[in-house]
Amino acid sequence: MGFGDYPKEYNPAVHGPYDPARYYGKPDTPFGQVKISELGSWFARRNKTPSGIAGACSRAWWRWQHKYMQPKKVGMAPFFQLLVGSMTFFYVINYGKMKHHRNYKYH
Amino acid sequence: MLSRVALRSAAARQSASTALVARGSATDVAGVRDEKNFPRPVRGEPGKVRLGFIPEEWFQFFHSKTGVTGPYTFGVGLATYLCSMEIYVMEHEYYTGLSLLLMVYVATKKFGPSVAAWLDKEVDTIETEWNQGRQDTIDGLQQSIEEEKKAQWRAAGQELLIQAKKENVLLQLEAAYRERAMQAYNEVKRRLDYQLEKNNLERRLSQKHMVDWIVRSVTQAITPDQEKQTLDRCISDLSALAARN
Repeated sequence: MGFGDYPKEYNPAVHGPYDPARYYGKPDTPFGQVKISELGSWFARRNKTPSGIAGACSRAWWRWQHKYMQPKKVGMAPFFQLLVGSMTFFYVINYGKMKHHRNYKYH
Repeated sequence: MLSRVALRSAAARQSASTALVARGSATDVAGVRDEKNFPRPVRGEPGKVRLGFIPEEWFQFFHSKTGVTGPYTFGVGLATYLCSMEIYVMEHEYYTGLSLLLMVYVATKKFGPSVAAWLDKEVDTIETEWNQGRQDTIDGLQQSIEEEKKAQWRAAGQELLIQAKKENVLLQLEAAYRERAMQAYNEVKRRLDYQLEKNNLERRLSQKHMVDWIVRSVTQAITPDQEKQTLDRCISDLSALAARN
């Protein structure tokens, strides 16, 4: 499995047209339904190889695209999401400098 | 994007073996298409959000655990915590951000609906343009089908016409046959009449000659003696008759 290939689990004869937002392996419990006590084992089951992480990011990207960006009549929501996300991202990477602007000594 | 993916997948399915060898993955191509668990992806409606950007699912995730106000309480509590501990630092850019937020809010509320309507109209226009060619083709083909049906209907009418013509020819043949039969009948009758007339004439002539010949022969055969005897006999008969009266 090299670059630009379909996932190993994807079988065009069974799955039909490839959906980049979809995980074609064996489905696990959705993250929103995992109990806190089972979180450890849930994370242990995840594929943490670089290709697995890249695949997860790709699927997340395409899920977001299909849900917010690609529909026929989108609103402002994806752009606000991008705005808030980039604001948060830049706030985090600049956090070391922001810390010097604190106004109070004791909290 | 989805359409391109579908196109690529269709191409892969058409030449499955070569494409898969070239790609080097998913070596197992055998299997039955699972439409139930893997339906064709369709272009859906945009996901619902609240407060402009927070997905509805986030609130639904809270509903079963904390109720309807839970997510808001969580958000406000988290914000309060971050601000009071000064984890979120309100430096000078924070107030720039507040003013920008206010401007964005006002602009969205003021211009949002009209811009959205204009963009939706543009989307519809573009979609109509893109579909126009296909729609034209469909219309043309349907018109061809209509015309083909009409042509078939006309061809069926042509068959009726040909059948009528065939019947007409048969009638003409019948008429010619009857005419000729009548002609033959008339000719035969004419010849027979001629024969009959000829026979009658011959018989009449021969009878007449026979009668003439007999009469002449008898007249010639009467000798003067016989004539005299006959005359005497007549006179005697007459006198006998006269004596009796």
